[in-house]
Amino acid sequence: MMTPRKLAMKALRYTLIGVLVVLAGFPVYWMAATALNVNSQLYGTGQVAWPQLQHLPDLVTELGNVPIGRWLFNTLLIASGGTILSLTLGALAGYALSRFKFHGRGLVGFLLFMTQVVPEALILVPLYAMFITFGLLNSLTGLILANVGFSLPVACFVLKGAMDAVPYEIEESAIIDNCPRFSVLTMIILPLIMPSIAAAAVVAFFAGWNEFLFASTFLMDNSLWPASVGLASFVGQYETPMSAVLGAALVFSLPAIVFFLLIQRKIVAGLTAGAVKG
Amino acid sequence: MPALTFKNVSKTFGDNTVIDAFSADIHDGEFLVLLGPSGCGKSTLLRMIAGLSDITSGDLLFDGSVANDWEPKQRGVAFVFQTYALYPHMTVRENIAFPLIMDAFRKWYHLPIVNIVARHRLMKRADIAERTLSIARQLELEPLLDRRPASLSGGQRQRVALARALVRNPALYLLDEPLSNLDAKLRTQMRSEISALHHKVGKTFVYVTHDQVEAMTMATRIIVMNKGIVQQVDTPDEIYDHPANTFVARFVGSPPMNLIPASVRNNALQLSGRLAVEHAAPLPPRRELTFGVRPEKLTLHPAGEGRLPAQVAVVERLGAETVIGCRLMTGEENKDQRLLEHDLVFVRVSGNPKIKIGELCSLDYQADDVLWFDIDNGDRIFLDQE
Amino acid sequence: MSANGLKNRSGLVKLLPYAFILPPMIYLVVFMFWPLSRQMYMSLTNTRIVNPNRGRFIGLGNYERLIEDPAFYVSLKATLVYTVLTVLIGIALGVVAALAIDRPFKGRAVVRAILLFGWAVPGVAASLIWLWMYNERSGVFNRMTELLGIGRFSWLTSTDYALGSVLAVTVWQVAPFVMLVVLAALQSVPQEVREAARIDGADGISTFRAVTLPHIRPSIQLAALLVAVWSIRRFDIIYLLTGGGPLGSTSTLVVKLRQTAFEGHELGMASAYGAVGLALALMVAAVHYTVEQRRMKRMSR
Repeated sequence: MMTPRKLAMKALRYTLIGVLVVLAGFPVYWMAATALNVNSQLYGTGQVAWPQLQHLPDLVTELGNVPIGRWLFNTLLIASGGTILSLTLGALAGYALSRFKFHGRGLVGFLLFMTQVVPEALILVPLYAMFITFGLLNSLTGLILANVGFSLPVACFVLKGAMDAVPYEIEESAIIDNCPRFSVLTMIILPLIMPSIAAAAVVAFFAGWNEFLFASTFLMDNSLWPASVGLASFVGQYETPMSAVLGAALVFSLPAIVFFLLIQRKIVAGLTAGAVKG
Repeated sequence: MPALTFKNVSKTFGDNTVIDAFSADIHDGEFLVLLGPSGCGKSTLLRMIAGLSDITSGDLLFDGSVANDWEPKQRGVAFVFQTYALYPHMTVRENIAFPLIMDAFRKWYHLPIVNIVARHRLMKRADIAERTLSIARQLELEPLLDRRPASLSGGQRQRVALARALVRNPALYLLDEPLSNLDAKLRTQMRSEISALHHKVGKTFVYVTHDQVEAMTMATRIIVMNKGIVQQVDTPDEIYDHPANTFVARFVGSPPMNLIPASVRNNALQLSGRLAVEHAAPLPPRRELTFGVRPEKLTLHPAGEGRLPAQVAVVERLGAETVIGCRLMTGEENKDQRLLEHDLVFVRVSGNPKIKIGELCSLDYQADDVLWFDIDNGDRIFLDQE
Repeated sequence: MSANGLKNRSGLVKLLPYAFILPPMIYLVVFMFWPLSRQMYMSLTNTRIVNPNRGRFIGLGNYERLIEDPAFYVSLKATLVYTVLTVLIGIALGVVAALAIDRPFKGRAVVRAILLFGWAVPGVAASLIWLWMYNERSGVFNRMTELLGIGRFSWLTSTDYALGSVLAVTVWQVAPFVMLVVLAALQSVPQEVREAARIDGADGISTFRAVTLPHIRPSIQLAALLVAVWSIRRFDIIYLLTGGGPLGSTSTLVVKLRQTAFEGHELGMASAYGAVGLALALMVAAVHYTVEQRRMKRMSR
């Protein structure tokens, strides 16, 4: 039994959902559709509004002219290196915050919170100067070191939250069993919080994957560019067909979309934890 | 094997004193039970012995040397936790072998990744594998060796925790309420298993519990604690028969000792205010005190035959015996309008007497069975000393 | 930690936490807080990019110039407008979307996934898509407006529309995040309380106001804090879409900072812009914490 009022509410709700889906989904749809158009359509006769799968071979050929493989490889290096470093340091910090009371704990919390507030651009110039001094400019190592400053705290918050849920007794039991603290962390605690480690890894990985400001400033050499900088170089440049540009953007976006959708809740928990407890 | 000595050990958290000047000796090979209500500091004491909690002041001696600052591993103890604290990501076999593997680890084995390889290697080492297997056999865990803790029942987990404690053959076993997460039947069974274990290994056991039945059945000695202060240190029999104060009297025994306010006027005893009782023995030289008698020392008689007239308020039939809660007829009992039955005097009789709630009866006692306590601080009053 | 038992354990135990916390903290100090303090100091010098490690101390000179520079006020205004509007629109859309998909319906998982696209797409890729959609000659927006007969728009190159266009992309990115945060809060509203309100005679809207809204308000506030801070920090999409133009209408403090540093080569001046940006972000955080503290106090009463 549905009253007219309820029916109207229901219709309104589904209309609203429909509008939101179009607003949120259209740009991605359009990216795919554009990638599968040919240039003459894009600039001349008018873009075809649906993806034309018959143009897929053309897209593949066009992408062959763009060093997208090289860029993605660099991106992969930057993202993986940053992930390993953030998780290692984040696990240490998370463990200390989860298990110990120590002088300076408040300061540590404040510093971690600050990292979430400080604009990246603000440390750009001093880092640039520092990297010149240490020969880290124009190197992936330098870029990773810069990125990790921002992803480490998020990894720390995610891992600390998970460690808080591990009972103390398990840890004390290991201590009685003659297990040093560092091994308590690596052999007991970390294996128990694997799902959260995976979540923190995805967050850190895609922070590195998406990063643009540092990469565009610290890397001069085209061969070192990650995909974000490479793709950005298409802006204001008209030799590369738009279908190839957006095709490359799509290839670049897909892993991020897939992983973000897979562990969306964990990411949100990680991003909000720092601000709640900081 | 260590003899433990506590010398004025105290523990404070901020302003909160958890343990106040605790002094005691724990002898080699005994089964010592730390008994007390929750929050009395008994677990903290156990954790101090293990080296898991710091000692605020005083000294803890292992065989005469101050051990306050020793690392847990130096103390050679095994700890069984209330929650068992098994490693959830390891199989039963790996859980039991873990202490052995840690002992066999060299420093550099603790490096990340190296530790994984080292652990797998050591699991296969003949002596470790054999020792693990033999302990598992002793505790009938062999069929479960490749399962993980999550798939075990409470009793099985308990046995894995014991196996892990036994495997290193420590000199001192610390058990923190190990049976409180089990159901009643299993608890009775595990109680005798742990007692038997103590006899077999012949090492020192320190066992923390709030359950007086566990304490009475297993201990060779009991330390009764309340609010961080030791109430009595003695054998189970002494604790039961000669409690040092009303706290111990009430805490040990079920139903607890009957404690009745009493007064002495002109060398005549009055219970619960007005009930004058002929007492056949000397009375303490006090005006107000507490009269204590165990339920099984009271005898039940038809109305008028015993010295204490009473009315039946509660009857608990336990099969072999019956516990009857009575209200003493002091002449003022009708003024009491409360619905709940407080301050009942319990009497324990064998068999199944035909008695109904509301029936009038009488109680009687032997003067030898009476213990006297100070009415204010609850301490035992000894007649011969005064 | 040696086995001979002679070392003072309490001394070591006190040091133990630092063995864990120091490596990450040293890292953060070297790669975050040392540069940050350098930057703050730099804003008091006339450092230029040719000699990034050698600048003369000039006191508040950069800030004096800043106060006299109309471009600074343009940038400050752009930052404030951009931040405030992003928060307002982003939160509004995010909350509406969360409420719309809170209750189960067929295809909810797919809808939820699509609604999250904007959040999941990397900023650079998002910029490229929207640049193409905003394209004046061949972009889908202008093709549509032409079809509707209202002509073409200079979405990104006219001072009237540029900030709005950048804002649209930003909202597309942050609204899904707000939605996720609010959705998580909504799912934790105890069903019994909602039902109790129903039994007590409340209709849909009053149930929402009496039960649901108070429950999700802290989450909304938290999302607002994060969105505001991110808006102050955001660089990639603004830089790629408009480069701060036209006429500085989208040049937020962060964009201005990088331009002043790497195009104007005035590091001291750039740092002064950065200091203002940091102050803004800290103010937002301070407001959030004050409100949060008050709420906590109210709750505990």
